[in-house]
Amino acid sequence: MNFFERLQALDRRWIYIVVALAIIIPLMVPYNSDVVTTPPTENLYQLIDSYSDRPDRAILISFYHDAATMPELYPMEIAILRHCFERKIKVFTMTFIAAGAPIIDYAINTVKEEYPEIQSGVDYCNFGYKIMPMITALGMGDNIATAIDTDAEGRKLANLPIMQGIVNYNEMNLIIETSGSVAGGTWITYARSKFGANVAVGVTAVMAADEYPFLQSGQLIGMLTGLKGAAEYEKLVDVFAAYRDDYFPKGRPFSKEILRDKSINKLINITTQTQAVFSPQEYQSFLSKYPEQKAILDKIKTDQDGKVAFDVTKISAQAQKDLGDKVWNALNKKTYNILYKFKTARIGMNAQSIAHIMIFAFILIGNIGYFVTRAKDKKAAGR
Amino acid sequence: MKKNIPLAIVIIGGFIWVLWAFVPHKILSEDFINKFYLPWIYVQAPFGVILGVMSLVMMHTAKIQRKAPKWQYSFFTLGGLLITCIAGFGWGTQNGTPMLWMFTNMQMPMSSTMFALLAFYIASAAYKAFRARSPEATVLLIAALVVMLAQVPLGLKISRHLPDISQWILDVPNNAAKRGILLGIGLGSVATSLKILLGIERSYLGGGE
Repeated sequence: MNFFERLQALDRRWIYIVVALAIIIPLMVPYNSDVVTTPPTENLYQLIDSYSDRPDRAILISFYHDAATMPELYPMEIAILRHCFERKIKVFTMTFIAAGAPIIDYAINTVKEEYPEIQSGVDYCNFGYKIMPMITALGMGDNIATAIDTDAEGRKLANLPIMQGIVNYNEMNLIIETSGSVAGGTWITYARSKFGANVAVGVTAVMAADEYPFLQSGQLIGMLTGLKGAAEYEKLVDVFAAYRDDYFPKGRPFSKEILRDKSINKLINITTQTQAVFSPQEYQSFLSKYPEQKAILDKIKTDQDGKVAFDVTKISAQAQKDLGDKVWNALNKKTYNILYKFKTARIGMNAQSIAHIMIFAFILIGNIGYFVTRAKDKKAAGR
Repeated sequence: MKKNIPLAIVIIGGFIWVLWAFVPHKILSEDFINKFYLPWIYVQAPFGVILGVMSLVMMHTAKIQRKAPKWQYSFFTLGGLLITCIAGFGWGTQNGTPMLWMFTNMQMPMSSTMFALLAFYIASAAYKAFRARSPEATVLLIAALVVMLAQVPLGLKISRHLPDISQWILDVPNNAAKRGILLGIGLGSVATSLKILLGIERSYLGGGE
């Protein structure tokens, strides 16, 4: 048996080992990589962002999946919820399958930990598990409070502060369905065609091809495609919604120019960041906000190529205490370190990159072996 | 009588929905849905759950009694049903409850593991079966490789044109095929629905007709 015949007969367990390593190593050792955002993701981001600080607008996220497809869909849900909480956008959640109910709780609790000021019934509301998608979708076109009646905590929807200014699809004008199978069908058929609601979907990568006809026809205003879609959305949230400076204290608006700018690289690093670096002007501006902590800050600062730097891991517990929570949080914010839960899709994309290259190599090697063996067989038959 | 009454219910019910779709009148669009159809649907759903639970229990109990192949697994199914019911009814499903703990620490990792096995099967199938045996297979192979590479950041480093080519494949040939399939499904559904509404198609009534 020659080399190529051996390749053809390679035990599949070797393939499994290589794939496992190709996935596990990038997950354990993250590296910085960039995902290019695509129009379907950008369109969805921009529409959600346009509802910022508007009491008469809300979005609905329909969790139409169980735990099996969570690795791809859950980061999307986390990124969208984070966007809504950052930009004060009213958000409703619901599911039409019982197994989706705990995922909603898990997702909301995960994001809410970072936003203590966000309140259930005021900033967001979980409708929980509801039956009969068609009937619920139609009912909400008339009156959401009537069709849903009570939320997951058993509270009468009509009495909740979040419902002020929200009646039907005229206000809750965007529905995003995340699903591991066909997504958005109910909403396109009933909420969009009859009431004009905007519909978007987040789907696993294998299902994306099925959704393209609806995207191209405009029935879907946006789509998040698998882990890549989630990674793109995470990036947009970091660059725009979660961005804070003196000019944009509540996040900045979407801009293609900013996305092309190299300066955003420091905002999207997925490796752990510990350095808060200020230009001399920025440092003066920072000090002017916290004049009482000037002495401590001056004491712990270090010089880095003419810039003022703080390594947050090297600041003692006593110094942290002296700085106070507000200044300490501001310093941490300046490191642009992204919490693990807000970058899982991008870390996953690293693994996916290697896995795709690996599969590419497998196909290539398999085909080389196939053609060489075939040529050899033909030659032998001709003799 | 046994056939005519169900047939009449289906035809009348079906035509009400056809009218609802095409006639935007208050009686149909609001009163029918909210005051009549919605309450009935909500009454119907719990019976579906009861039926489902009964069916599951009866099937697995019978399997254990008969010692059917792999009957031992039925204990896990019934045990899982019992435990989740107790956890759900006893403490609810909110954060910090046994239900959410079981979901986070048992269901989530187990389900994700099952789904993740796909990666191994795809890689193995790609190596063993994805061959350029014919011109059609070669086109499929090239399209798959381009779309796959364009999906990941490394693909962009190979060529900056890859995402555009991949998008063209998805927008043009993929959409053409998908639209054809969707139109076929749509026309088939309309034809079958019309046959049911007009009483031509009656196989759903049973009896082998």
